[in-house]
Amino acid sequence: MARHPAPDLLPGTLDLLILRTLQNGSLHGWAISERVQQISQDVLQINQGSLYPALHRLEHQGWIEATWAVSELGRRAKYYQLTSSGRRQLVVEADAWERMSAAIGRVMKLA
Amino acid sequence: MTLRDLILRVRALAAPRRVERELDEELAFHVECEVQKYIDGGLSPEDARTRARARFGSVPLAADQCRDARGTAFFDTLTQDVRYAFTMFRRAPLAALTIVLTVALGLGLVAVVFTCYNALFLRVDAVRNPAELFEVRRPPAPRVTAVWHALTRQDYDALRRDTSVFTDVLAMFPLVEARIAGHPTTGTLVTGNFFQVLGVNAALGRTLTAADDERFAGQPVIVLSHRAWATLFAADPAVLGQRVALNGASYEVIGIMPPQFRGLATSAPDYWAPLGRLGQLRQALAGKDDRVELDVVGRLKPGVSPKVATAALTAWAAGNPQMEAEGDHPKTILLLPRLGTNSAGAVRGLLLFTPMFFAFGLILLIGCANVANLLLARGVSRQREIGIRLSLGASRRRIVGQLLTESLLLGLAAAAGGFAASRLILEAGASVAVATLPPQMAEQIGVAALAADWRVVAFLLGGAVASTVLFGLAPALRATRLELVRTMRGEVTRDARPGRARHALIAVQVTASAMLVVGAAVFLRSAFAAARVEPGLRVTDTVLLELTTEPLRPAMLQAVRADASVAAVAASWPARIGGQWTEASVSAADKPAETSARSPVEFKFVSPEYFDLLDIAVLKGRTFTPAERSPSTGVAVVSDTVARKLWPGREAVGQVMRLDSPQPPQTLYSGSPSTGPHLPLRAFTVVGVVRDARVGAGMFEVVDAGVYLPIGAESAGASLVLRVHGDPDLARQALIDRLSRVDPSMGRVTTLRTIAGRATLILQIVFWVAAVLGGLALALTLSGLFSVLSYLVEQRSKEIGVRMALGATPRDITGLVLSQLVRPVAFGLVAGGGLAGLLATLIVATSPVAGIVKVLDPLAYAASLMVIVTACALAASVPAMRAARIDPIATLRND
Repeated sequence: MARHPAPDLLPGTLDLLILRTLQNGSLHGWAISERVQQISQDVLQINQGSLYPALHRLEHQGWIEATWAVSELGRRAKYYQLTSSGRRQLVVEADAWERMSAAIGRVMKLA
Repeated sequence: MTLRDLILRVRALAAPRRVERELDEELAFHVECEVQKYIDGGLSPEDARTRARARFGSVPLAADQCRDARGTAFFDTLTQDVRYAFTMFRRAPLAALTIVLTVALGLGLVAVVFTCYNALFLRVDAVRNPAELFEVRRPPAPRVTAVWHALTRQDYDALRRDTSVFTDVLAMFPLVEARIAGHPTTGTLVTGNFFQVLGVNAALGRTLTAADDERFAGQPVIVLSHRAWATLFAADPAVLGQRVALNGASYEVIGIMPPQFRGLATSAPDYWAPLGRLGQLRQALAGKDDRVELDVVGRLKPGVSPKVATAALTAWAAGNPQMEAEGDHPKTILLLPRLGTNSAGAVRGLLLFTPMFFAFGLILLIGCANVANLLLARGVSRQREIGIRLSLGASRRRIVGQLLTESLLLGLAAAAGGFAASRLILEAGASVAVATLPPQMAEQIGVAALAADWRVVAFLLGGAVASTVLFGLAPALRATRLELVRTMRGEVTRDARPGRARHALIAVQVTASAMLVVGAAVFLRSAFAAARVEPGLRVTDTVLLELTTEPLRPAMLQAVRADASVAAVAASWPARIGGQWTEASVSAADKPAETSARSPVEFKFVSPEYFDLLDIAVLKGRTFTPAERSPSTGVAVVSDTVARKLWPGREAVGQVMRLDSPQPPQTLYSGSPSTGPHLPLRAFTVVGVVRDARVGAGMFEVVDAGVYLPIGAESAGASLVLRVHGDPDLARQALIDRLSRVDPSMGRVTTLRTIAGRATLILQIVFWVAAVLGGLALALTLSGLFSVLSYLVEQRSKEIGVRMALGATPRDITGLVLSQLVRPVAFGLVAGGGLAGLLATLIVATSPVAGIVKVLDPLAYAASLMVIVTACALAASVPAMRAARIDPIATLRND
C-alpha cells in the first residue's frame, strides 16, 4: 500500500520559504511558521526545532536581520526582515526552485 | 565569512550571557504564541501548554542547534581542549618541558637565519612613504659592457632643475671613512635636502638643511646615527652642540637620528655630513666634486607612475648632452625601488639563503623527530584514557583535535622560547665575531646583533604551526587508531606496530646529522688546505699603510721611520696588492714601436726596498738599485708571467717596452686611489724578472702587478709597505695610535696576513657554523636514539627474560638490541652522505668558495661517517647492556 509521505521539506527549501515569507515585511519566528502553514493550507508544516537554527543561520549569512520589538501579545519579540543581499538571494533561490519544479513536473508527465 | 557573521560571532563571544538570554526569550515567545493559539481555539490553558510543547519538540535541542548555527561551538571546544591540555601538562611537566626546549632550540636557529634574511631583503626603512622613493640609475647599453653608468653631481643638478616627475631628489655619497675622536667610522655625505625628502626628523637636535650644504662650501656639521651615538658617545645627550674632531677638522654635532632610521641603507652609517664637505673629508677627491659617483634617489610625485617617470627621465637623458653616451646607443634611465633594503632582490635572496635555511632547519627537523618519538611513546601510555573517551562517544576527529591542541600549545611556547633563543644566539654570535675576527675586519663590518621585528615574530608563529604538524600529527593519528574492545578490556596493546614509525624517524635523524657532520668535515679540510697555500709574498709581519694627506707626508715618513715597531719601509703606488691596468707595447730592437703588438698589463710604482721587504724572489737580472727612485731612470722589473707573455721564448732582461698612459677614471668613488706619480711616456728597459707575487686562495686570490717601475717614498701619492716587529695586528694598532696624532685623517692600515687569510677565514666561519650545527644534530639524534632503545628494552623486558631463561647469552641479547638500529642507521648514513655530496656539489659550485672547497673529499666523508657510527654505538650500548643484565627469574616472577 502506498503511504502518504509526511510533507517533509526538501533540503534547502526551508531557507527559500523563510526568505519568501519575509518579502512583504518583518515577522517573528512564530508568525513565519503560521504564515507558511496557512498559505500552504496546512500541507507544509515547518518543524519548529529546525526553524530557529535556520533563522540564526540566515542571520549569520547576512540575508536577514533581526530587531527586537513589542509584539501583539505585549511581549518583546525578535522580528526578522530581509536585507538587500537577502532580496537578491531570494531571487536566485526562487529562480532555481522554479526551474527545478518545472523540470520535475515535465519528467512526471512525460517520462 | 561575511562582516555581519563576524560581528555576530564576536558579540556571542563577548557577551555570551546576553546572547543566551535572548535565545531563551525568543524560543519561549514562540511557545507562548502557540499556547495562545490553542487557547483561542478552545483548549484549556493546561492542554494548550502540553500540546504546544509536544509540537515544538525539545527546546534545549533547538537551542543547541541555534548555537551551532551561531558558530561559537568551535570556541567552546577550544576552551575545553586548552583546559584539558593544561591538566595534561601539569601531570607530566618534564615531558612538556623537554618538548618545548627541543622545538625552541630548532625554531630559534631557523629564526636566526630569517632575521638575517629579513634584515637584508624585507625590512623597509623608517621613512615617510617609502614606496614613492626610487633610485635613478643608468643601465649600460645591452651587450656592450656590464658596467652601469654613474650619475655625477652635474647630472644630479640637471635632473633636479630640468625634470618634474619627482617632488624632490636627493643625492648621497656613501662609505666615507673618517676617524671621529680616533675611532674609525664610516659615513654618508648627503645633499642638504636629504632628510626633508625622506621626511624624517632627528630624535634629538636637528637634521641637515639646504643651508648646510652650499656647493663646495658645506658647513662643518654632522648628524649621528643612533648606533654611533650609543657606541662612540655612550648615548650622552650632552654631545649635541659639541664640536668633535672628524679627520682632524672640527665638526659640530647637530642631531641624533632615531634608532630605526637607516638612511636607505641595509645598516645605518655612523654619521651624515653635507656633500659639500667632500673635499675636506677625502683629500684624494678635493676639487673633483663634479666627477664623483652619486646615488640619486627621488620621491615620485603622487599620481606619477614609475613607468611614466621612467619614460620622462629617459627622454630627458637623451636630450642632455652633458651625459656621456656609449657610441650610438641611446641613453636610458631605470628607476629602482629604494626602500632601505634590497626588497627587489627578495626572491633571489631567498635562493641565496636556502642553504642556510636548510642547514639550520635540519636541527628543527631532528628536534621534531625526537618529539614525535616521545609523543608516540606517550600515546601508548595514554591508550586507556583515549580508549575510554572514544567508547564514551567522542569522535576520532575530536580527540585528534584535542591532541593537536596540546601539541600546538607546546609549539607556541616553543616559538616564544625560540624568539629568546634567536636573540641570544645573535648577540652571542656578534660578540664572538668581534672577539675573533681580525681587528680591521671587525672595524669595517661594524658587527652588531641584527634587530628583530614583527616579521620575525610572524615567521616564528608560522614555524610553530608547521612544527606542530610535523611532530604532532602522526602521533595523534596513531594514538586514536585503537581496537576499542581490547582496550576497554584493559588489554592495552603495548605498542601498535612499533617498528616502522620509529625506525623511519631514526633514519631521518641520522640522515640529517650525517649531512651536517660531513659538511663540517669538508669545510674543515678545505680551511686547512687554504691555510696551507703558500703565499708568494711575505705576510707574517707586513703591513700596508696609506698616506692620504700630502702636506703631512714628510712628518708621517719621519714618524714611521722612527717608530719602534717598524723594521723596514718601502713605498708603492697603488696602495693595494695589484697595480693599475694599461697597455704595453713591445718594440723588438729592429722594429719601430708603432707596429708592435700591444697587450694589457698592470703596472705599479715601487721603491727599491719593496722586493726585499716582501720576499719577492728575483729570477733573472736584478731589482732596482738604491739610486733608482724615479720612473725617469727608465728601468723596469717584470713578473715571470708578464715576461713570458711579452717575450715568449726569449730572454726578457735587456728588452725595451713602452707603457700607455692609463685612462684617467671618468668618475670617482670613495675607494678611488689617490692620483699616482706621473707615468713618463718613454722606453723602459727591463733589468730583472721576479716571481709572481700572489696572496690568498680561490676567488680571494690577488696577484701583484706585472710591471714594476721605480719611485721613492717621498713621491706624491705613494703609500708605504712596512715590515714590523712582532705580531702585525698589535703593531698595526700601535701604528694607528701613534700616527693618528701626526695625521688625524690618516688612511687605512691593513696587515697582509688579513688579506692572505680571507679565504681561510670564510671557510673557518662556515666550518664552525657547520660544526656547531653538526654537534647539535648529533646530540639530539643520540638522545632520541638512546630513549627509543631504552623504551624498547623496558617494554620487551619480559620477552628478553624468556629468551634468557631459554638459554640466550648476554651477548645474544646485546646483539638483539643493537640489531634494531643497524638498518635505520645504515640507511641514514648512506642517504645523508649521498645528499650531502649532491647538495654540496650543487651549492658550492655556484658560491664564492668554489675552487677552494674540495666537495667530494673521501677522507672527510670517511671520518664523519666513522664519528656518527661510533657515537650511535656508544649511545646504544647503555640500553643494550642494561638489557643483557636483565635477571630472567625476577622478570618472569614479576608477571
